[in-house]
Amino acid sequence: MTLKSTSRKKAIHVMLCYTGGCNGCDIEVVNALLSPRYDLEQYGVMLTWNPREADVLIVSGVVTWQMLEPLKKIYSLIPEPKAVVAVGACACNGNVYKNLVGDIKVNEDVWAPVENIIPVDVKVPGCAPRPEEIIQGAVKGLPKLMGAP
Amino acid sequence: MTETSNEKVIEKELSFGPVHPALIEPYRIRLFVNDEIVEDCEININMAYRGIEKLLDGIPVEKALIITERICGICSHVHAWNSVRVIEGGLGIEVPERANYIRVLTQEFQRITSHLIFFGHAFEVIGHETLSMRAFLLREQFMDLLQYLGGNRVMPSVPIIGGIRPRADLTESLKKTILDRCDAFEDKYANYVQRVLDDPLVISRINGIGLLTKEDAIKYHATGPTGRASGWRYDLRADMNEYKPFDFNIIVLDGCDTKDRVVDRALEVVESLKIIRQIVKNIPEGPVVNRNWVAKEMPFTTAYSESYRGELMHTYGLDHQGLVRNYQVRTPTITNLAAMEHACIGDHVTEAILTIASCDPCLTCCTRAEVVESGKSRTMTDYEIVRKYGWRR
Amino acid sequence: MTVDASVFFIARLVVSSVIALVIATLYSLVLPGIERKIQARIQQRVGPPILMPGFWSVIKFTYKSKTEPIAQMPRLYKFLIGFGIGVVSLLLLFNTPYWWFVLGWGSILGIAGMLKLEEVLYVFMGSQSQSVLSTSMPVPDTVKGSKWPDIRREFNEQHSAERALKMMLIGSLPLYLALIVPFLVARSVNISAVVFAQNPAYYPFTSWLSFSLPTNPVLFTVPGFIAAIVYFLGFVIILNEKPFSILKAKVDLIEGGVLEYAANLRAGYYVMRNLLMFALSSMFVTLFLGIPFDPFMPAMLLLNMVLSLILPIALSVLVAFSPIFTFRQIYPTAIGLSALGVLAMILAVSI
Repeated sequence: MTLKSTSRKKAIHVMLCYTGGCNGCDIEVVNALLSPRYDLEQYGVMLTWNPREADVLIVSGVVTWQMLEPLKKIYSLIPEPKAVVAVGACACNGNVYKNLVGDIKVNEDVWAPVENIIPVDVKVPGCAPRPEEIIQGAVKGLPKLMGAP
Repeated sequence: MTETSNEKVIEKELSFGPVHPALIEPYRIRLFVNDEIVEDCEININMAYRGIEKLLDGIPVEKALIITERICGICSHVHAWNSVRVIEGGLGIEVPERANYIRVLTQEFQRITSHLIFFGHAFEVIGHETLSMRAFLLREQFMDLLQYLGGNRVMPSVPIIGGIRPRADLTESLKKTILDRCDAFEDKYANYVQRVLDDPLVISRINGIGLLTKEDAIKYHATGPTGRASGWRYDLRADMNEYKPFDFNIIVLDGCDTKDRVVDRALEVVESLKIIRQIVKNIPEGPVVNRNWVAKEMPFTTAYSESYRGELMHTYGLDHQGLVRNYQVRTPTITNLAAMEHACIGDHVTEAILTIASCDPCLTCCTRAEVVESGKSRTMTDYEIVRKYGWRR
Repeated sequence: MTVDASVFFIARLVVSSVIALVIATLYSLVLPGIERKIQARIQQRVGPPILMPGFWSVIKFTYKSKTEPIAQMPRLYKFLIGFGIGVVSLLLLFNTPYWWFVLGWGSILGIAGMLKLEEVLYVFMGSQSQSVLSTSMPVPDTVKGSKWPDIRREFNEQHSAERALKMMLIGSLPLYLALIVPFLVARSVNISAVVFAQNPAYYPFTSWLSFSLPTNPVLFTVPGFIAAIVYFLGFVIILNEKPFSILKAKVDLIEGGVLEYAANLRAGYYVMRNLLMFALSSMFVTLFLGIPFDPFMPAMLLLNMVLSLILPIALSVLVAFSPIFTFRQIYPTAIGLSALGVLAMILAVSI
């Protein structure tokens, strides 16, 4: 354990980018990070709103076309090393909005799997995922951060 | 385009969002300010457009319930409930009394969690982190109850056509838990509200800003607590058959400012607790779902309901195969938006965002279809505009 | 002073400065953790590990890959951090006794000048930074048309710079008024005179193990106590913390001018902010209690460091219980505090 990887393990800054969806995961993420019951700060994870400060980008929601460019931009602004966590079924595969098993065709308004736009490291499925799972997901990006040069 | 008849001098424009700590949902606020004073405000929505109306067109009516519940994650139950109320009204499906009670119960649970999210968010916008944390801590008790009742914290999926899902039935042990939690909650909540109203710093921030007079509230159709805090007595719960058995008050305040919008919601939570207690005490025995119905051709039917933020409308028709046609949703925020834009004029920049937050916007609900046909002129969709003009003007 | 004596003095000056800076920087990085922890306990949660928000974050940011900030003049923007650290370091070094005898810097003029430079920094930062989070976010907003089509669009940070100017104009006045009071009590402009008046047994060039408690600290007089309260609120104002954090209010300006600092520059910003917090609270102990930050007297040094926790702890309690003030509240508060400061000055003169 070098000083580099220890420092990356001890202090994680998380940013939330909510790209359109139903608000459920989004409230759960903020709730998990903020509320005293699932206090995420006790594990050394801080919530920030500045991409320049962040290490882990939490993306929730289907990516609507208006949020496509902001998402790419914000991802590009985070300095290396960085990890992306896709929270919720919407970010993982598009959920009901993508119309995956639909009779007609796939919904064109939704750019759904976040993987298609930016590289995703951790996926947290569920509609909506429980706060415990989101905490687990936010911490699972660690090995990538710690191993990065 | 220089209609400066009102002689406003505008120095500059500030824009916030869509990724911003105060507006967690994706929307953009453009404030036209003169020094610190907001002279005009424009809210750009549509960043959460997912094409729900298109998705709902032509699918079986039972399947539609899954999507309508996911219109919004804060008020998921009221969307699901109102969408089944449409077909129940249109085809005359009898709903058992017990099912109605449990639907109302879930509704009031979610109303409390929604209002507590509002407190959490509003106090974060004020900058008071401690009060915001306390609100989130109080909310967890009702999230637990929703989880016990429906199985999921966010999407309880309680109503189905003709009743409720049998797994969401109210058991004796759950009744006891609900009553215990309500008692514990009521004490802590009363202390919390008292603490807020006694805090001179918080009151100095929220008192007397964001004025929305009764005339303006009616003119812009500010529904829900936003309108009721402006002295407009308009609550659909008074007219709904589902709420007939319960005794509760409609909170109407006439302060017209941000403080009253906060206090109005704070008092509504107490009324919701009253309803919950009555439900648990008086719930009749009997079946919870009526399966004796077939989807057949149905003319366009509309159902109105009082959601947590105001008046909610769902309307659709069924074709001869029983498929959903022309689904339309009008959520409360879409009418509250104009009221927000109006209310924050004349305040400081920081207070304008607080005013907008105090109207409790839920932009993901209200992002609806894009094309507007009016006579011959056709409004372009955002997509077409950007294709034509590029990202920046 | 002979040549030997001056060489000896300069050597002690350099060595004491280096020791003081290293100790102060490491110690100041613990302060945000303590602050955050107290807030978390007030909010009924466990809160972060003590070292995390300061120490580990700074080390982590230094290991991040360097990125160019989006600014009008990126090199100036990057230089501001180094400049700020220099200013704050000098401010800290005025607490060490050797700097009191350098060119008359160790007086209220030096302190006030450094504080003013520190405040001006935010104006420069704000006018330079052009974060993507506000105006330049690639969303279709202007293409939809507007009632006011040709208005100048400003970045959040530029608005923050304007607020910083306003805060400089009125907000920082209480701190300076409170700073004058101990000097008035000692009837001198030199820090050395202030300390010696409160702590007559203290002499900086004696042995390592000597130790002297102040006999008549200013804090326990009436004007000193009033000035200490004003000093505390001025401290909050100059640190831009919660009730007075309008220039980096999270709800509209997110972080203000420092928005674009990434990687090592952000580490530099953290060091600067925490060092400023420590420098000001250490200065409070030096000026109001007469216990200087003397690197060659470990007992005095430790006492100064322990007593320096008073202001950050009071700050974190204040932050936890207060909303952000807008200018509607800041103007009356600052005017009232200035009036209190003037009252303390009058009392100090009349004693």
